[in-house]
Amino acid sequence: MRPGNSMGRRLRISGIFVIIGLLVEALCLVWSRPIAFVVLVCIGGALIGLGVLVFLYSLLSAPLHSTNSSEVAEDKH
Amino acid sequence: MPTIAIVILVLFSAVLAGVIVVRPTITVSRAGKILAFGVLFFLPLFSLVAGMENEMERSKSTGFCLSCHIMDSYGKSLHIDDPSYLAGAHFQNHRVPADEACYTCHTNYAMFGTFKAKLGGLRHLYVFYLKKMPLPEEIKLHEPFNNRECLHCHLGARSFEQGATHNADPATLPAIKANTLSCISSGCHDVVHNVGRWGDKVKFWDGGS
Repeated sequence: MRPGNSMGRRLRISGIFVIIGLLVEALCLVWSRPIAFVVLVCIGGALIGLGVLVFLYSLLSAPLHSTNSSEVAEDKH
Repeated sequence: MPTIAIVILVLFSAVLAGVIVVRPTITVSRAGKILAFGVLFFLPLFSLVAGMENEMERSKSTGFCLSCHIMDSYGKSLHIDDPSYLAGAHFQNHRVPADEACYTCHTNYAMFGTFKAKLGGLRHLYVFYLKKMPLPEEIKLHEPFNNRECLHCHLGARSFEQGATHNADPATLPAIKANTLSCISSGCHDVVHNVGRWGDKVKFWDGGS
C-alpha cells in the first residue's frame, strides 16, 4: 500500500479527524466550565466519530488482497 | 478514572494517531493493522467514553454548579448561619455530601432522573449563553419540587416518621408521602435558599468549603 493511494489517504483523513477530536477532548477535560461538556460531545465526539467512520469505510472500501506481497515489496522501495 | 489519567490517555492516543497520519504504510503489516484498529477505532472511542463519563461525574459537583456567576447567591445560601435555612442546614451538617450538594437535592430519584437533570442542565446552558439571563432571585424550578427527593433519605428515619409536627394531624404524614403536601410548602420547610430575601441581618458560616 502506497501512502498516496486511496486507502492511505482515507487513513490519513481518519487520523486527522481523530487527532483533532482528541485534542478538543483533552482541552475540554482541563477546562472546568459547564460548556466544556457540550463542546466535548458536540465537537470532540463528532470529530472522533467521523474519524472512526472514515476508518471503517477505508476498511470496507479496501480492495481484496491489498496486502499481497507485491504491494508490500512496492512499499519497501 | 482520574482526569489526569484520561488526559494522558487522550494525548497518547493522539500521538499514535499522528504516527498513522505520517506513515500510513505501517498498516501494511499485520501488526500495523492491529495498531491502526487500536488507534483509529478502539482508543478514540474508549477515550471519548471515559472523557464523557468524567465530565458527567464532574457535573455533579457543587463547584461545577457554582461555576456560573448566576449561581453565586445560591452557593452563598449554603453558608447562611441559620438552621432554618434548609439548604444551608443540609450542607453544613453533611446531610447531603458537601461536594455534591446541589445534585443530591435537585436530581429526580426516579428512572431517567439523571438524564432529566442533564437535559435541564443543557437548557440552563442555552439560557445562559443565548438568552437574557434572569436575576438570581427570579430563577425557578422547572417543575414543583417533588417530596420524593426528600424522602429518598428521610423516609423511614425516626426524626421524620415520629416527628411531632408530622404526626400532629394523622393526615399529614400520608399526604407528605403521597406528595400531595409539599415539604417546602408554606409554614413547613419553606425557607430553602431564599435568594434575594435575606435581609441585612443574615450571617454566614465560613467553614465547610
